[in-house]
Amino acid sequence: MTAPIIEIDKLTKSYGGRRGIVDVSLQIREGEVFGFLGPNGAGKTTTIRILMALLRADRGAARVAGLDSWQKSVDIKRLIGYVPGEPSLDPNLTGGQLLEYFAHLRGGVDQSYLKQLIERLELDPGRKFRHYSTGNKRKVVLIQAFMHRPRVLILDEPTSGLDPLNQQEFDGMVREARDDGRTVFLSSHVLSEVEKTCTRVGIIRDGRLVRVGGVAELKDIKRYEITIHFAQPVPIETFAQLEGVAGVEKLANGSAVRLAMQGSADAVIKAAARYPVVSLTSYEPSLEDVFLRFYESDGKAPQEVAGVV
Amino acid sequence: MWFSSVYLKTLRDFRVPILGWGLGLGFLMTAVFAAVPALLATPAARASIVALGPSFAWFADPIKIDTPGGYATWKYGLTVLVVALWPILAQSAMLRGEEERGTMDVLLSLPRGRFRVVIEKVAAMWSALVLMAVLVGLLAFAGARKSNVDISLVATIAYGLNLALISAVFGAIALLLAQFTSERRAAAGWTAGLLLVFVVLDMVHRVVPNTLWVSRLSPVYYFNLSKPLVPGYGFDAGAMVLLLGLSIVLSGIAVWLFVRRDIGGVVLTRRERPAVRAALPAGDWSLRSVYLRGLAMVAMPTVWWTLGIAGFAAWMVIVVKQTEAQLKSLLQGSALGGDILKAGGGDVATNTTILSLLFVFLPLMLMAFAVTQANRWAADEEDGRLEIVLSTPQSRLGVLLGRFAALTTATVTISVLTLATTSVASSITGIALDGGNLVAATLSMIPLGLLVAAIGYLLSGWLSAAVDTGLISFLLLIWFFISFLGPGLSWPDASLRLSAFYYYGAPLLHGVQPADLAVIVVAAAVALALGSYRFVRKDIAV
Repeated sequence: MTAPIIEIDKLTKSYGGRRGIVDVSLQIREGEVFGFLGPNGAGKTTTIRILMALLRADRGAARVAGLDSWQKSVDIKRLIGYVPGEPSLDPNLTGGQLLEYFAHLRGGVDQSYLKQLIERLELDPGRKFRHYSTGNKRKVVLIQAFMHRPRVLILDEPTSGLDPLNQQEFDGMVREARDDGRTVFLSSHVLSEVEKTCTRVGIIRDGRLVRVGGVAELKDIKRYEITIHFAQPVPIETFAQLEGVAGVEKLANGSAVRLAMQGSADAVIKAAARYPVVSLTSYEPSLEDVFLRFYESDGKAPQEVAGVV
Repeated sequence: MWFSSVYLKTLRDFRVPILGWGLGLGFLMTAVFAAVPALLATPAARASIVALGPSFAWFADPIKIDTPGGYATWKYGLTVLVVALWPILAQSAMLRGEEERGTMDVLLSLPRGRFRVVIEKVAAMWSALVLMAVLVGLLAFAGARKSNVDISLVATIAYGLNLALISAVFGAIALLLAQFTSERRAAAGWTAGLLLVFVVLDMVHRVVPNTLWVSRLSPVYYFNLSKPLVPGYGFDAGAMVLLLGLSIVLSGIAVWLFVRRDIGGVVLTRRERPAVRAALPAGDWSLRSVYLRGLAMVAMPTVWWTLGIAGFAAWMVIVVKQTEAQLKSLLQGSALGGDILKAGGGDVATNTTILSLLFVFLPLMLMAFAVTQANRWAADEEDGRLEIVLSTPQSRLGVLLGRFAALTTATVTISVLTLATTSVASSITGIALDGGNLVAATLSMIPLGLLVAAIGYLLSGWLSAAVDTGLISFLLLIWFFISFLGPGLSWPDASLRLSAFYYYGAPLLHGVQPADLAVIVVAAAVALALGSYRFVRKDIAV
């Protein structure tokens, strides 16, 4: 197993009396693509901005490549490409000028690779930043984050405002970074994107990290649904107590049941086989459904989820 | 209540400027009324000031300037026009600023028409100006009563309203120009430039014969037709109606354009240049470092401020030469002359004394320039424009010092060009100025400008850009009052030392005073050091 390139240890930050993040601990290995999920105001941006030394933590530590993010911020920023959540740049410079400026501040970049990125995202670098659409502004910020081939990419909602084609292009760029052994730490609301690109996911809620696991692991703990239509009404109690059944709902006057499942469906299949089955459908929720369910309980993560880390 | 309509919400947004400008100008008039009786105590003093008036007619019409109301109107005839700066800033931002921030989209998504939204906003601005005018009028009246100056409440309120009207005109110009510019800053800059042009146009007829028609092109001319504080002069209702009409017409055109154009767009769209994909790298010199980028950002303002400051200095040299004989006889023979000489720092043996007095305005202007640039730094940090810069391997200290170094370069440039312009003007007019002292007078402005900038940088460590700018502007105003009203009010030396202008002194007469200069340099260095200490530790854009 490779050493962690990002280490966050009991990081705590508040804004005056307002909660930012509380005791967030996390390790990301080199070469990982890590998705950071959470609703608005959960603390994703606060965590990222502390890593970037834009905020100073009240307690705890954040390290990138073993270097303290606050004490060694300049050294760390040589390794990092960063996309802020709300990019704001000089509106009077063109996209090309902005990219050149940041390239100079980084000590120079490979111009052919820069041009390749510009072509790839179809950015017109001759227009002033203030004349760009939201998506094009995002492209400028994405290109400046990738253009020096950083060892670590820290991306705060990077695809916000991009059209689906450019989102696909972005997915490709992240995959290439991963294949090159680089690390990507991205926050997102677009769960399908996280599902596609990330190897591990962390979920933050109310400033606390409530879940870290592989994308596949998250799916393992998710509930799924089975709907069975019978030729005649069946007693619902038959299914309620079975192993793996978390909930039962009667449909079509009792001739169909919808089962919320957790774990193996073996007992359900065997019980259903005692009656004439018309149809059986299983619905596997997306990561988005898992995510939404994770937040539907008011203030507490569901026990079965909280227990699996 | 304040959030029940666009009108009330906008009025609420203006509450600080209403109070700030209203109280500031009101107290200014109160201070003038308190100081003037002492200045006009003797018949000789009154006679000398009456005689001095025509020599400075270019500045303002000298009418009954041996009375408190006449003196206040004359002395602050132009100075009070700074009040127009607020409506210029506010109305350039009223629509364009909201469009830049994207908040106009949200506002117009509500079930209210564009016309109604903009009318409510304009109405709020006019209400704010009226409230400010009333505040100025009431405070001026109270100040007059306290100092036993015979001025009626109607006169002081009319004075305030006249100020509100000229402010409304420039606000309306800013609102109109903002329909043609894609940035509020550009609209504000153009309108401020127009304010300067109109002030000069108004002056023309007082300096050059048979040019009244030129001055009539300026709204400032119609503002100056009303002098409610001058006993027996009153106000010109026609001129006030004309100013009101002008602001209504200009605002009306702005509203008409706004309801028809694209939100975020401009009225006359320039054709965009074709894409220059092959133009990378651009090879622009200004993109090579934070310092050079800062230099490019400050370049254009530096050009305009240099024109203003160096132009003013050269003009002063020419004016002093033209009025040489009258000024000498006036100042030598009056008590007031003694006070003026005290403020100027010398005797009337040479024109240098008069120039020394007038040169005090140069550091004031340079410090105002520094205020605008400190505001830009604070706004860049507040708006998140430093975020990606700070994500590159640049230290925070390096970024701050890079920007401050660019500002330092700009202030040095302005001062050096002022020195060059003044030298040329003095050699053309034949006014003999000590070369070393002239160098001292122009270059010792630099530490004052840097002091203001450093204080602005320091305060931006805690305060928003708006509050930071307001505070350092207020500080500048306080220093100005201390140095220009303090001696007249016989304030102790310890109080006068609280003003940075005290340490500027009269370098045109006495050269550099190393100890005084050191005070400013040390103060600026301490403020910059503290500002740097704060910046490298603070949360960015929070």
